[in-house]
Amino acid sequence: MSADVLVAGVLAGGLYALIGLGISLVFGVLKMMNLMHGELVIGGAYLASLLVGYAGLDPLLALPFAMLGMAALAYPLQRYLLTGLLRSSPNAPLVATFGLSLVAQAVLQAAFGTHPKALSAPYADAGFTVLGVRVQAVYAISFALTVVLCGATHLILTRTRAGSAVRAAAADPVTASMLGLNVRRIYALTMAAAAALAAAGGVMTGVAQSFTPTSGLPLLLTGFAVMALAGIGSVGGVLLGGITLGVLQSISTDLFGGGWRNFVVYTVFFLTLSFRPSGLFRRTVRA
Amino acid sequence: VKQTTGAAVALLAATTIALLLGPGLDPGTQDLATTLLVYLTVAQAWNILSGFAGQVSLGAAAFVAVGGYTAGLALVHTPVSWPVGVVLAALVSCAIAAVLAVPLLRLRGDYFAIGTLAASIAVQALLTNWNWAGGAAGVTLPIDRIPTGTVLFELAAVVAAAAMAVAVYVRYSAFGLRLTAIRDNEPAAAGLGVAVYRHRFCALVLSGALTGMAGAVTAYQYVAVSPGGMASVNWSLNAVLMALVGGAGSVLGPVLGVFVVYYGLTRQLEDFQVVSLVVEGVLLVLIVKFAPSGLWSFLTRAGRAVWGRRRAPARTSAATPEEQAPAKEIEVV
Repeated sequence: MSADVLVAGVLAGGLYALIGLGISLVFGVLKMMNLMHGELVIGGAYLASLLVGYAGLDPLLALPFAMLGMAALAYPLQRYLLTGLLRSSPNAPLVATFGLSLVAQAVLQAAFGTHPKALSAPYADAGFTVLGVRVQAVYAISFALTVVLCGATHLILTRTRAGSAVRAAAADPVTASMLGLNVRRIYALTMAAAAALAAAGGVMTGVAQSFTPTSGLPLLLTGFAVMALAGIGSVGGVLLGGITLGVLQSISTDLFGGGWRNFVVYTVFFLTLSFRPSGLFRRTVRA
Repeated sequence: VKQTTGAAVALLAATTIALLLGPGLDPGTQDLATTLLVYLTVAQAWNILSGFAGQVSLGAAAFVAVGGYTAGLALVHTPVSWPVGVVLAALVSCAIAAVLAVPLLRLRGDYFAIGTLAASIAVQALLTNWNWAGGAAGVTLPIDRIPTGTVLFELAAVVAAAAMAVAVYVRYSAFGLRLTAIRDNEPAAAGLGVAVYRHRFCALVLSGALTGMAGAVTAYQYVAVSPGGMASVNWSLNAVLMALVGGAGSVLGPVLGVFVVYYGLTRQLEDFQVVSLVVEGVLLVLIVKFAPSGLWSFLTRAGRAVWGRRRAPARTSAATPEEQAPAKEIEVV
């Protein structure tokens, strides 16, 4: 197997990590499976496509606006609908986010049609060669972006007052609210941040490949696979989880052909979830 | 015991009526009824695993595919008759469920849901690449050896009746009580001596076998099996949608749910795909928000309120289990 395969896997893994980061953040803090994460990713891509199409912006310049836009959409949903469901029954958020994902798909279909779209950028198909290894520019950019966003998320969570508040709400929402933290707002802000990260992943996905209103489900599953490999609720392991997934896909495509890729990936994902629920990279069980 | 007899008699009567009425229906209605009965089987099987036993599955498609492919491949590659195909579908689904139980039953709650989703996608990916099973295109069944029309409808009715019978058994038997005890509080159930693993295993295998039989009926109805049709994630989602809309954890909830979702929404709005998606999505959100135990219990409660006001308050203590606080996690947010 050539170095090309490994490098392509690692770089594609960066994009997967970006998609998994939002899911992992929401699950870690809110203890909630967000089945509309795929639509948040695709929604980001469509928002960016508006800016790219009408204002002629470069997708990378449209990216911050797409992030802000998706965050603004996600905040009220979490604040006024989903947080209330967290206490009603254990499956309620799962079902409600699934319902919202159906609505989002329908809205995207009505607004943009069902034909595939892609974000055009000069670096979409470009590539360069480093030390004899062929690298696709989009994936290199998205990998760098992921490293920055993962690092930023990590630093915000560990080094700032807001981050401490989020971690307190995650560890013990009752005590946190008794100590005066507005847990409902923290939850909504966490979801907004996750939506922003999803949108960033969506813009890069949109540059790298085409997307349709129903592309959300495979992206959601990618996110879950990353989270399972990284260890559920762990932000730190997400980058490693994404890279593992990318390398796994790349190697299995190389060895067995493209058709078997999904089988290998989902089998590994399933077995990891069952037999190593704390992920591949942590020795201890969740703290 | 009295309730069990009543439910069994009602089920038997309903099945008999369906079988008697079946031959008189026109082909279009028969086809619609067959589809409704298949969905009823899948939704009821989901209800047994998830509504009663509390293990929310997003993987019904895996068993629809296993059952459908078993029956389909048996008919294509061997000279067996179609009833044997259905029996084989049930047996192979049992076996696959038992194998999947090893990793799956290590998972609980949302992890179980994600695990079943991953398993069903893995099954779909496997079938897509399995050339003997027709690969991505699937295989066409020998049309002269599969049931059609009235016979197919009767098969669907019998399979659905089997699913309903299992649901009645789970609802009224000690076995079912132990399942709901595990659902409501697993440590407490284990502490009182319920064999948790064995019961979760039984629920998974029973549900898998019923879903597999529904898959066999679908394979006969479509006259073909393909990874896109049999292992489509829509099966899993429809099972959840129908059971929850009607009321998970009750026997009649899924019946109502199948009718409302498939006949009331999917069928009526099939020309308006976008509207249909919006309505289904909004309905799900509204149900979990305002009627978390489903339309069936919502309606019975409303009915009882009207009924009870007109007559003297007869029985106040006979609350059914699904009414007694379906929400057990009172974790404050």
